[in-house]
Amino acid sequence: MLALFFRLIGRGIRDLGLHPWANIFTLVAVTMVSIMAGLFMLTLHNVNQELLKSKGQVEIQIFWTANTPAEDYEKQWSDLHNIEGLKDIRTFTPENALKQLSEALSDTDDFSWLNESRNPLPPTALLSFSVEPGVENERWAADLLHDLKALPFVDKVHYNPLQIDLARGWISLTQSIVWPIIGFLGLIVALVVGNTMRLSLMTRKDEIEILYLVGAKQWFIRLPLLTGGALLGLIGSSAALGILYAAQQFFSDILNFPPLFMKLTFLPPEQCLILAGTVTLIGMLSSFVAVKN
Amino acid sequence: MIRLNRLSYNFGSNWALKDISLHIQKGEFIFLTGHSGAGKTTLMRLLYGALPLTRGQASVAGYDLHDIKRGQIPMLRRELGVVFQDFKILPNRSVYENVSLALTVRSMPKAVVDKRVRAIIRALGLEKKSYSKCSSLSGGEQQRVAIARAMVVNPKLIIADEPTGNLDFELSLHLMDVFKQFHTHGTTVVMATHSREILRCVPDARIIHLEDGQLSEPPEYLTSELCPC
Repeated sequence: MLALFFRLIGRGIRDLGLHPWANIFTLVAVTMVSIMAGLFMLTLHNVNQELLKSKGQVEIQIFWTANTPAEDYEKQWSDLHNIEGLKDIRTFTPENALKQLSEALSDTDDFSWLNESRNPLPPTALLSFSVEPGVENERWAADLLHDLKALPFVDKVHYNPLQIDLARGWISLTQSIVWPIIGFLGLIVALVVGNTMRLSLMTRKDEIEILYLVGAKQWFIRLPLLTGGALLGLIGSSAALGILYAAQQFFSDILNFPPLFMKLTFLPPEQCLILAGTVTLIGMLSSFVAVKN
Repeated sequence: MIRLNRLSYNFGSNWALKDISLHIQKGEFIFLTGHSGAGKTTLMRLLYGALPLTRGQASVAGYDLHDIKRGQIPMLRRELGVVFQDFKILPNRSVYENVSLALTVRSMPKAVVDKRVRAIIRALGLEKKSYSKCSSLSGGEQQRVAIARAMVVNPKLIIADEPTGNLDFELSLHLMDVFKQFHTHGTTVVMATHSREILRCVPDARIIHLEDGQLSEPPEYLTSELCPC
């Protein structure tokens, strides 16, 4: 039984050579649709990377309340060095901050009235983080902000407003528009690949009819066709990924100039697998439906 | 072998078969005659399960077509050999592959398949063309391939729908000899034809005549002047 199973799978592979032109055209169509889907995924992936990670740098500024005892915030500053992913920390006592502000503004106006006894500035710390690729940025940032806000005497925590706005905007966009678009794109891929497969199986209509006539059971007829459909889907999607990879290598630095500094990266392995798996599955399913009809 | 009781079949409002009742014994040679559109092909398609039985009762090779399940149809067809006017063979496959198809769907061991296929190919004079693609064969050879595919399974019943319809007279006579040989070995044959010459090849065959989907007496010109070929 198992031998017959593998023989039928082997027949499905060999049979692809019986109608070479029909299969070549099907393969081209599957590859092109997969390229289209892959291109969309690639765009989404790169925009996602850039918006959420801002080239791997996230800056957070912590403001303590003005009357925080020096020993308290100084202890916290030394504790902050242990946070994972921290790249740099710059701390400002109210005196440092005032001095820096006075120096920065001395050319434009007289700020001599701002002395230490009337200093309105709180102690602050500016933390720079390097976010590793693959980290779920919005979750990571939310957790970090939550932890920092919970520190004693902390008044407020600022997380680059533009960056956070972009991230929030992107998340809201992905939730409301991008996923429906992905669904719609998936439907188009399914319809195009499915119909192409169905049409290519028309060339084998007589064969299927004859197999039924000589008493073949459903699985005997379907297994080689499912194998053929899956193989066309797998080869087509793999070819598309190969072409996209070559294109990504060629154009990786096309947006790497000021102020964008965007380096295009290729799809992560799991997204490649999703694309190849989906197209392969669609190939199998459409063969199944075509034979059924 | 075949028992039909008040069988009717319609395509929409058009009744292709009306109230057919007949009984065909094992080992009989039956000619199904009638003009084009008389219902011969519809009757044959019902016999091998290509059309669902909607009215009446039918039993073929022990299968009750009224109650037959979808999954049982392949089993029914394994008891039959079906031959068509347009051959229905795979043109881009070899003679050997076409003939062996009927056995491989039964999951027979390769050695058995090989032995039986070679024997039938030899019996039908196709051994020199065993590995030729069917598209390169003549019409007569293609029909012999179709007959070989039907016969290689040792069917209880052969259903042949105008098997000589696309062949010249001499080739038709030769193929009738092949059918007669199998019939003498006990195979029941039901063959549709509207050729008087073909009818005369099997003088002891029973003629079942259809007219407008109904059974009727065969016209005299079909039964007279029988001469063995």
